[in-house]
Amino acid sequence: MIPAIGVVLFAFVLATAVLTAIFRDVLAAIIVFAAYSLGMAIFYAVLLAPDVAMTEAAIGAGVTTLLLLLTIAKTVHPPTDVTFERPNPTGLLVVGAFTLVVLATVPAFPEVGSESAPIWSNPEVTQYYIESAYEDTGVENAVTAVLAGYRGFDTFGEAVVVFAAGIASLLVLRTEVFTGE
Amino acid sequence: MSNDEYEPVGENQPYVESQVIMTTVRVIAPFAFTYGLYLTFHGGSSPGGGFQGGAIIGATILMIAFAFGIEPTREWLSNRAVVGLASGGVLAFALIGLIPIAIGGRFLEHELYESALEIYHGKKYALEAVEIVGIMPIVAGVVVGLFFVIAAGFSGGSRLAGDGGRDRGDNR
Repeated sequence: MIPAIGVVLFAFVLATAVLTAIFRDVLAAIIVFAAYSLGMAIFYAVLLAPDVAMTEAAIGAGVTTLLLLLTIAKTVHPPTDVTFERPNPTGLLVVGAFTLVVLATVPAFPEVGSESAPIWSNPEVTQYYIESAYEDTGVENAVTAVLAGYRGFDTFGEAVVVFAAGIASLLVLRTEVFTGE
Repeated sequence: MSNDEYEPVGENQPYVESQVIMTTVRVIAPFAFTYGLYLTFHGGSSPGGGFQGGAIIGATILMIAFAFGIEPTREWLSNRAVVGLASGGVLAFALIGLIPIAIGGRFLEHELYESALEIYHGKKYALEAVEIVGIMPIVAGVVVGLFFVIAAGFSGGSRLAGDGGRDRGDNR
């Protein structure tokens, strides 16, 4: 049984995703893409993943939209009278085939909350983190305990990757404004 | 989009200070910034953490830049500070990980802050320090830095070093 809010959100996310693909005007596509990210953020919150929801709202709906807006403000785009892009048959075929392949994996997912889900079929692992996260790391949020405690080394690697990617982009896009202090 | 020619938007539509946007941002920015700090500092006890908090703090700066103009914001927050924030975060994270090695433990062994250095709640503070002085500045710095570098030349400050300012008619 899927709750009503799930159906509404799913319809919203699907509609904004399709609109992002078919809008001819880049600005309109960016705006519906921001709406898509917002829908996904609410979806994550409904699915009890608030950490992911916050990241999606800030990065997906906020920062990405601003960066894309800046990018189109700095480039030229052709004037257009048509609202929607004419679908390209080859592209449609590829997207359709890809969607079918992805949908084919859906029956393999365990039901939400099902006891046969991998997270419950290894109860000793899950239970260990739930029971000893506070004792081992001293923080109450088990997600943070795993990310910065048990898997601190992974997180260090991720942080360095973000830093390196950022610095590399700054160097590639280097301008007189940024370097001339 | 009325012209037949391709239209360089950034040139023909210069930024106009909008009273509505400026007022809204002036009211919302302190709350968004506080929320970002709250997520960062309270990430150990509730949903959130350094990454989410850093992203929201970075987005607050972007919001201010959009409302009050990118160039003034860039001058207010120097490039050196932005890059320093990101670099400092990596160094702080590494330092927190290396101190346990220095006293004979393993990398990022937060337990030692409590047992060997006898800091009260040391393992908790070490973990939260990773979030607060490590991850948050990296994310905030990278977000703001990327924004500034993509925005460079947007308000006519200078042109792109690589392609000779194709989007600019007067080519100053």
